Amino acid sequence: MLRRIKSKLNLFTVTSIIAGLLIIIPLLNIFVELTAPASDAWIHIRTYLLGRYLRNTFVLIFYVSILSASLGFFAAYVITRYEFKGRKLLSWMLILPLAVPSYIMAYVYGDMTSYSGTVSRFFRSIGYDGYINVMTMQGAVIIFTLTLYPYVYMMVRSALQKQSASFIESARLLGASKWKVFWRVVLPLARPALVAGTLLVVLETLNDYGLVEYFNVQVFSFAIFNAWFSFGDVISAIRLSAILMLIVFGIVFLERAIRGRRRYNLHSKTRPVERVELKNSQKIYPVLLWMVLAFGFVIPVLQLLWFTRFANNTLFNIEMMYLIVNSISIAVFATFIIVVIAIMLANFNRGRASSFKKSWLKITNLGYAIPGAVLAIAVHMFFIDLDHMFYPLYRFVNPETGRLVLSLSLSMLVFAYVLRFMAIGYNSIEASYDKIGESFTEAAYALKSSKIKTLWTIDLPLIKTGLLSAAIIVFIDIIKELPLTLILRPTNYNTMATIVHEYASDEMLIEASIPALVLIAVASLMIYILTHAKQKRGAANVRKN
Amino acid sequence: MYVKIESLQFGYVKDEQVINDVSLSMKEGEIVAILGSSGSGKSTLLRILSGLEMPNKGEIVINEETLCATQVYIEAEKREVGMVFQDYALFPHMNVEKNIAFGLSRLPKSCRKARVKEMLELVSMEEKIDAYPHELSGGQQQRIALARALAPKPSILLLDEPFSNLDTDLKLKIRQELKMIIKKTHMTSIFVTHDYEDAHDIADRIIYLENGRIVDEIVMEHNQQNTQ
Repeated sequence: MLRRIKSKLNLFTVTSIIAGLLIIIPLLNIFVELTAPASDAWIHIRTYLLGRYLRNTFVLIFYVSILSASLGFFAAYVITRYEFKGRKLLSWMLILPLAVPSYIMAYVYGDMTSYSGTVSRFFRSIGYDGYINVMTMQGAVIIFTLTLYPYVYMMVRSALQKQSASFIESARLLGASKWKVFWRVVLPLARPALVAGTLLVVLETLNDYGLVEYFNVQVFSFAIFNAWFSFGDVISAIRLSAILMLIVFGIVFLERAIRGRRRYNLHSKTRPVERVELKNSQKIYPVLLWMVLAFGFVIPVLQLLWFTRFANNTLFNIEMMYLIVNSISIAVFATFIIVVIAIMLANFNRGRASSFKKSWLKITNLGYAIPGAVLAIAVHMFFIDLDHMFYPLYRFVNPETGRLVLSLSLSMLVFAYVLRFMAIGYNSIEASYDKIGESFTEAAYALKSSKIKTLWTIDLPLIKTGLLSAAIIVFIDIIKELPLTLILRPTNYNTMATIVHEYASDEMLIEASIPALVLIAVASLMIYILTHAKQKRGAANVRKN
Repeated sequence: MYVKIESLQFGYVKDEQVINDVSLSMKEGEIVAILGSSGSGKSTLLRILSGLEMPNKGEIVINEETLCATQVYIEAEKREVGMVFQDYALFPHMNVEKNIAFGLSRLPKSCRKARVKEMLELVSMEEKIDAYPHELSGGQQQRIALARALAPKPSILLLDEPFSNLDTDLKLKIRQELKMIIKKTHMTSIFVTHDYEDAHDIADRIIYLENGRIVDEIVMEHNQQNTQ
């Protein structure tokens, strides 16, 4: 027994165990706090508000997921199955709305449709005195759909590209019409990707705080912030968080249960489906996709650019440079930590599979399923506990120190980022390891190379494109992140995301336009690198074959 | 003649003929093996017969129905051609029953069930009716793929390298089973292979294909006598 444990005890295992513990402990805190007696605020929330929060949350995620899944699937289907002019350009540009955080899109469309906004002025100029109010539940659904559908699009596109033509041909030879082939074969085979993409959309929707606060759509993340900062009642916020976590886990569990014994991939011999020219009646498809891109990216960016005309001396000043450096440096730092830990976790996962490994990795990747507001509470409480624990040590180093050190520092925010985005980094790196297999690593071990040397000289060079993808996706997510940053940042510490939120909350959209544009530009550049690095890699694979 | 193929020509790109002036006739119930190395055009020939590729020239008539000629082209889904793919192409999200019933949607529900049962009996897989493809071995998957292709009573059965995914021991067994099932149903069949043993064991006639042309033809009298 001791020999077995000793043989498995290495850098990868130890790091993975510690990472898992650091995730479990703060989350367990949430459930432990549930045993505390109910406060007056909680009784008020439960009696008068909880029903509304639940209803609004379900309505929002129901419509956002249906619309994002339909739009993402449609876009992926048109891009992978039809040939038309501009297809390649559209193929990566359709991901760009992901660079626009939903709260920024909400501020822009909120302003454009206000009485003095571009849209209302245009309506009045053509003699129409109507007015569109986007600051409603319906508006929130549309904006979430426009910013989040790329998750579904990316996943389904990849699944459709991998779908073997023989399934479709086989169905046709069995007499199935084109519609039957689509509904009974193509769509069900893409189901795992469709569901995974939609699940990401749901999680991102539940995580959002900026948009729902601005539009006053009272959903759970709004409620958690409200309980904490308006009622000043952390315990009520924790109770709401626990309910939200149960909803999230319920959704994940339900999907697994529905899937049952079914599988969606059977063999690896894939002959891709050939793209066909659009028929006359289908020529509207690319037009629709360009319109989605216009509403999801081009129009908000143009409006923000227009705002900058009035932002004369607030343009690039020292404060702005400071913000950019802040945002980028913390995102780079947290990304680096995530990638390093994800490499350790992926190595821990290699070798013989065991149920312990499987469950432990699920735990370490739990953070992404937990909305930012909930995670923020968990991390905050954990850091305060740590401060209490380490207080004697602080006193020893500096006798005049206060009680709170870690919880007032940037380390708390970095820790929360690591917890939340670990799954994103891990999944990308794990997929790369899966592709290269284990024979190269085993060959190196057989040649007496140490674990670290093998990692450095064999594994990492082989998975470098996967590492780059992981780093870019995590970086984009962190730079856009709002709820965690708002709650856990040290006083007077701002990132581009928080300053945009602050200005926009004060109706100062002109001031918000520059940081918003910089944020979108950085994220768009990253998306460009990501999509083009992948395309290059794809080309290299084809040549090799 | 039950199957008549006349002067078939096909190329994926212009000026590059993959199938070059192929003509072939078959009697009802005959099993023809098309033997050739990879790139000889044998799988392409099957794809043309099934309607998955449209030939540049030529004529295909099966059971007195013209499937392809100068002015005629019947789409794959309307051809009533059964095909077993090299990778079997069993739909992974459907169980065995649903896979076999997929091509029977025109039948009333009760007839559909009976036909599925009949097919499973034919391939001796009745107990696997609820299994999903990933729960079956390679040989079992092949039998289900065969049952699915035969269920709608096609006018011809096409098999694309049916043994390439099986290991040697299993291959010998499955080869005999396949031959027995095809003969039992008296199904006119064409299968392509690169392995002479496969062709020798099953076919009534072997056709050699090279660079898209038929270069030789051998009648396998031992197989024909066995079935008579």
